[in-house]
Amino acid sequence: MKIKKILITNRGEIAIRVMKSARKMKIGTVAIRTAAEPGAMYLSFSDEIFDNSEDVSDIPVFLDIDKLISIALKTGSDAIHPGYGFLSENAYFAQKCFDNKITFIGPSPDAIYKMGNKTIARRLALRIGIPMVMGSAGNISDVEEALTAASKIGYPVIIKAASGGGGKGMRIVRKEEEMERMFSTASKEAEKAFNDPSVFIEKYIENPKHIEFQILGDTKGNIIHLGERECSIQRKHQKLLEEAPSCALDSSLRKEMGDIAVQIARAVSYHSAGTVEFLLDSDKNFYFMEMNTRIQVEHPVTEAITGIDLIEQQIRIAEGEPLSLKQEDIKLKGWAIECRINAEDVQAGFAPAPGKIENLSMPADPYVRVDTGIEPGSIILTTFDSMIAKLIITGKDRKEAIKNCKMALDKVWIKGTKTTLPFFRMLVRNQKFQDGTFTTAFIEKDIEKYYLNSEYEEMLAAWLATKLFVEENLLEDSINVDFENGKEMSPWLLNKRINQF
Amino acid sequence: MNENLKIKKLYALSSENRKFSFSVPLKNKIRIGRRDYIVQLKSDEKYGTYILWKNRKYPVEIVRSRQNKYEILFNDISYTFTVETPFSLQRMKVIKSTKDVNELESLKAPMPGKIIDVFVREGSSVLRGEPLVILEAMKMQNEILSPVNGKVIIVSAKAGVNVMKDDVLIEIKID
Repeated sequence: MKIKKILITNRGEIAIRVMKSARKMKIGTVAIRTAAEPGAMYLSFSDEIFDNSEDVSDIPVFLDIDKLISIALKTGSDAIHPGYGFLSENAYFAQKCFDNKITFIGPSPDAIYKMGNKTIARRLALRIGIPMVMGSAGNISDVEEALTAASKIGYPVIIKAASGGGGKGMRIVRKEEEMERMFSTASKEAEKAFNDPSVFIEKYIENPKHIEFQILGDTKGNIIHLGERECSIQRKHQKLLEEAPSCALDSSLRKEMGDIAVQIARAVSYHSAGTVEFLLDSDKNFYFMEMNTRIQVEHPVTEAITGIDLIEQQIRIAEGEPLSLKQEDIKLKGWAIECRINAEDVQAGFAPAPGKIENLSMPADPYVRVDTGIEPGSIILTTFDSMIAKLIITGKDRKEAIKNCKMALDKVWIKGTKTTLPFFRMLVRNQKFQDGTFTTAFIEKDIEKYYLNSEYEEMLAAWLATKLFVEENLLEDSINVDFENGKEMSPWLLNKRINQF
Repeated sequence: MNENLKIKKLYALSSENRKFSFSVPLKNKIRIGRRDYIVQLKSDEKYGTYILWKNRKYPVEIVRSRQNKYEILFNDISYTFTVETPFSLQRMKVIKSTKDVNELESLKAPMPGKIIDVFVREGSSVLRGEPLVILEAMKMQNEILSPVNGKVIIVSAKAGVNVMKDDVLIEIKID
């Protein structure tokens, strides 16, 4: 059945991303205006806007199932795309859509539930003989149980939220003494983020690579994979840079892991786009970690090397179309790297850096794709995720992609908040990154400084500080700003200065 | 006549104690090796305020300025400088040499957020790297670790309370 109108129950860049594919397919879109971001950029990309800005409840509308269903019905939307985060992996939401005859653009409620519950997912994978790391048999309900399980498995262990994802509710425990504290933070964080405090314990693999496979399945039982992504550049289990393919895989390992990823998806009769995550150790042993039953932030790198529009595929599958692609049609071409530009202060340990975007300019070179939900004037709130843009850079091989990445990073111009740009400028120049031997421990262990700055940059900053001092204290006549075409100094800079006095 | 006009040199001291000297009146040129390079502070609609140096634009912002202390954001990286005259630099050196070594460490919130848990009380002895507070921001629980070995003398952080960036959470007397 053809979809006519999609309600997008998300915000930011992913809302825009979905709208772009919908537009290409001549499908209408509805976006939701919220009180938190009444003038957000994603609203200007939709065909219709549902105004929910009067609603000032604490829970964002994107998490309010009943409200979203009623908005879909009111706006005559026959489908919902949840994006990532929020309700994208909520089986109850998918079921509610089905009950109300709204097409949920994603997998079945059953697949979401089974893969979403890590304990059930582990059991399923065990049954079909998928390689996995040693772990607790089920959920762990208290510290005593955690200590027993951990001593059986052997330290270090990792505590994970049963309903988790995105690094929340996850803690590494290296010593018995740390268990009580780590167990309680992980459990509390899990309850807060997923409304479910249950956790389980696994052996912690030191220094692995994070490799994941993109899956596509239709409702007729056809399932294929679109190759891997490497996401080892992480900080506290939050991905910062992803690339496709991975330099750790050759074609035979790719086939082996890809086949297993497809098997896992088949175990839950998976349809739509999904991702099977593995850990790969230094001896090239791989272990199934989890399956994400949503479109992922890093999906563009796969799109870049396969030429396949994953959102379009999700929509076609939701319409009941069989996959037009077969495994042998999938050819990986070139290399793609994604940098997540987050509003974070790299110098303060990646602390969130909210603010108002004053100026913004993105590279327009053919090797760069920019997915963003911000424009000058946008306000970055702490309420939402700190990611503000994704730079997807391509090249014919990894070397060229890194070279292009270097150039692109120097062309990105964002004023009004600190971002992760200085981190990436450092990263692309790092030897270990360049030769591809990095692991998930890279940020914690292999780098001395989280950012790049040259001595000239510090000297120029010193010159500016001195210039300000001279103007404020030495009563020089000329302000010495080079007024271009008679233009004034940026009112923002002046404002900031005036506020200090 | 202003005393300050006699000053011939200024020093910008970075927070890591690097010293950059500039002659006064300040020129729009910086010498590197044997060559002078022109440095310009500019501003326009598209880019905001920036420094033009060797044909490249660098975004700049003045984040904070108080007395002779400046926090500058240059190409997305913060630098803090104090600008000293030859006289104030001399005075600083004298003060530094007589300073008491028993210092206080103020543990500040690295980001805005909500205090979830406080693990220490006034009088607690703490070790470097020991978690003192859990601060939740952007749905992540962050452990704030003690930067020093010492004794807690003031606990301002309270569970359940929202804090701003740089709010003092705990003060520790360094051992």
